[in-house]
Amino acid sequence: MSTGVQPRTTENPETPLPPTSLTGPPQGPSRWDRTKRQASFRNVSALYILAAMFVIFSLWEPHTFLTVLTWRLLLDNQAISAIVAVAVVVPLSAGVVDLALGTEVGMGAIVVAWLIADKSLSVAVAVTLTLVIGAAIGVVVAGLIVKARIGSFIVTLAMSSVLLALIEWISGGEPINVVSSSFHNIATGELFGVVYPVYFAAGVSLIVWYVLEHSSFGRRVYATGANPEASRLAGVRTSRIILGATVTCGVLSAFAGLLTASQLSTGDPSISANFLLPAVAAAFLGSTQFKRGRFNVAGTLVAVAVLAIGVEGLELGGAPEWTPDLFNGVVLLLAVGFAQMQQSPTRRTAAITRIIRSIGGSSKSEAS
Amino acid sequence: MLPEPDDRSDKSERDTPVLRVRGLSKTFAGTKALNDVCFDLHRGEVLAIVGQNGSGKSTLVKVLAGVHQADPGGEIDVNAVGRGARREQLHFIHQDLGLIEPLSTTENLDLSRRLGLRDLLPGRRRGEHDRAALLVRRAGAVIDVRSPIARLSPAERTIVALARAMDGWPRPDGVLVLDEPTASFHSSETERLFDAIRHVRDSGAGVLFISHRLDEIRAIADRVIVLRDGRSVLEVPVDEADDATLVRAMVGGEISGRSERDASTFGDVRLKVTDLAGMRLAGVSLSVQAGEILGVSGVLGSGREELGSLLFGSVRRRSGSVEVDGKTLRGGDVADAIGTGMGLVPANRAQQGAVLRMNVRENLTLAGLQSVQRRFGWIPRRTERAEATRWARAVDLRPADPERPMAQLSGGNQQKVVLAKWLRTMPNVLVLDEPTAGVDVGAKVSIYELIRDAASQGTAVVISSSDTKELAEFCDRVVVLNGGRVVGELSGASLTEEAVLHMSFDVSAGAVAAS
Repeated sequence: MSTGVQPRTTENPETPLPPTSLTGPPQGPSRWDRTKRQASFRNVSALYILAAMFVIFSLWEPHTFLTVLTWRLLLDNQAISAIVAVAVVVPLSAGVVDLALGTEVGMGAIVVAWLIADKSLSVAVAVTLTLVIGAAIGVVVAGLIVKARIGSFIVTLAMSSVLLALIEWISGGEPINVVSSSFHNIATGELFGVVYPVYFAAGVSLIVWYVLEHSSFGRRVYATGANPEASRLAGVRTSRIILGATVTCGVLSAFAGLLTASQLSTGDPSISANFLLPAVAAAFLGSTQFKRGRFNVAGTLVAVAVLAIGVEGLELGGAPEWTPDLFNGVVLLLAVGFAQMQQSPTRRTAAITRIIRSIGGSSKSEAS
Repeated sequence: MLPEPDDRSDKSERDTPVLRVRGLSKTFAGTKALNDVCFDLHRGEVLAIVGQNGSGKSTLVKVLAGVHQADPGGEIDVNAVGRGARREQLHFIHQDLGLIEPLSTTENLDLSRRLGLRDLLPGRRRGEHDRAALLVRRAGAVIDVRSPIARLSPAERTIVALARAMDGWPRPDGVLVLDEPTASFHSSETERLFDAIRHVRDSGAGVLFISHRLDEIRAIADRVIVLRDGRSVLEVPVDEADDATLVRAMVGGEISGRSERDASTFGDVRLKVTDLAGMRLAGVSLSVQAGEILGVSGVLGSGREELGSLLFGSVRRRSGSVEVDGKTLRGGDVADAIGTGMGLVPANRAQQGAVLRMNVRENLTLAGLQSVQRRFGWIPRRTERAEATRWARAVDLRPADPERPMAQLSGGNQQKVVLAKWLRTMPNVLVLDEPTAGVDVGAKVSIYELIRDAASQGTAVVISSSDTKELAEFCDRVVVLNGGRVVGELSGASLTEEAVLHMSFDVSAGAVAAS
């Protein structure tokens, strides 16, 4: 009670009124306070960084950075990355680390190419089957976590190795060329001068954002990630939530994979490695934005933009090849470190903390 | 390195207390948790401190350990050398022993030792085992020091903790404080620990033994101090006090009047439990009517602590059945229990009751999300906020801000949110496990009112609590558990705190009559 009393409260503690008799304006901080809090540097640091980068690169290389072509390429290139990043937000929110993310994408690319080129299936059937296989991977992952009670870190690490082997087996280690203009069109067709994947990314983001932040399923996902035991005792069927989260991630990353294959007209067995780190980095960086330690779609999209624009600007400025990797790593460390340092008394970083702990403690839980 | 048995012929040395406490007080936000506590602890003596929950036992331990700073004016003097020596001369064995389970006894004992480069040599191993075995033997026990702690029994673990606490005493007359060490023991094991304690005592140490079991105090202690409301109200040699005297001192002279409720107003049986068994419970049957508040008492280890989760299904039951309004619950299925109209306020608020990393609104609606959701699972922000605000005010949350993160609330306010979460679902049966543990007095009153309101609206309430005062004053009926079974039931005029205590502590019925 020592910290909880505020002068605004007037009711007598000994006679709580029945709920029905209570009406009136909600108490708490005013709208202005809330707006101020939401615009604070800590809460939206990436937006400020984004603005700063824009100004710097515009002044530094106005003739290349400020061209329509640059921005269209940027948008085209990042659409698939954004889908993968948004995909991983879902299991992370539920407290599940998905290290198989990259290989799930790679699997999608290989399977769709193989089905069309080798099995001569129609594009529609191949795409549907690929998404179903993505979902099936999610089911297996959830099953191992929930039923076999293996930590998600270990499950997905092992799963990524298994999927990598499957990819090699299916492809024989060689790229699978797909000669199908209708398939190629999925990722390269344009509407109003913008390629389809940008619309797909927008649609996926919108749906995932709605589900996570405005639906009861999303509420249960966050609750499961923050405190699975308390959630279970409040009637949340946490196993189903985890299943839902991994299946969503599996389907979305398979979708991203088939878009990549469509873009290149090739099922490339070596793309897996390119997807995991940027997506997870964007999700973690995004978790420091807007929602104070909660993984969220808007923050993740901003993070994808920060990373992409930073890398693009540096490349246009003639920075050496290794700068993108360096930039990704440093930005992630800075953003998360900054959020950690300025942590308010409450820490809504439960899911992140739990994940970090599960990485450290997974070997221990297996031993016992 | 090891304490040698003291030559106790020196009479004057023996008379200086090893621990002298004078005028010790501790105030928390206006409440005196400790009030002018004074005592001496002598060499070779076991001094027991008893009292109910909230009597100040644990505060005393924490002040001695330096976790809490005592109010100014108090004095803690170890071996008459003043405050400076406290850290080295006071040794604690808390309920959480702080042993690392996968490691062996030897390794655990080594952890507190400064290791040098020489310890990297392979040949050191045997020496370490010998040393550990010697330390354990000093505590009067024989334990395989090479097997992991996880394989030891609770008593053996406590003995290891004791050996570790005694490792490296500069002189044998230190002070050992044991805080309810037998709470997790099977009774047959208690004697092994007591042997160890006697060993320590005989080597010249002073032992402070905190407990709530009168039979144990009789077995081990020389003197006993009874704490009540932070004061020491009785200090006697153990042989000079009978159980009835001690219980009366613990409870206090006055038993406050209970608001008697008319049993005839209770409705049909809502909760019917038949032969419920779990890890500790061994066949418990009870029934609760609509509107009735049933209390469940029992010391740690009586099975009381698992009753709530067994009823609710968060722990799978071994056998027996739980019926709500005639419908049998599926065991181990929380969602089924909630669907049938049961709610559980668990004892462990931070782990099980509240999602601390979410805000008040999200916690309030978590158990009944269906009622605020629309099509496609949409939760309209405005509707939910209004609902959360309504309940925040109904339970007198301070501040009544539904957007405030749970972690920023005090324990009492967090508990109000957990309670409100279930009241919102209009439960047919509400089970509360230690509902007022760690809750301040003001919030306690609110919580009682809320529970009573729910009962008067037809909810069958089960309160499992270690606070016997709370049970006696608040419940319509109390059942007492011991050894996993119901050993007694009290209601009406016979329901007094003393009677509950007597039954819980397994004191013969004669003592009840005598009081």
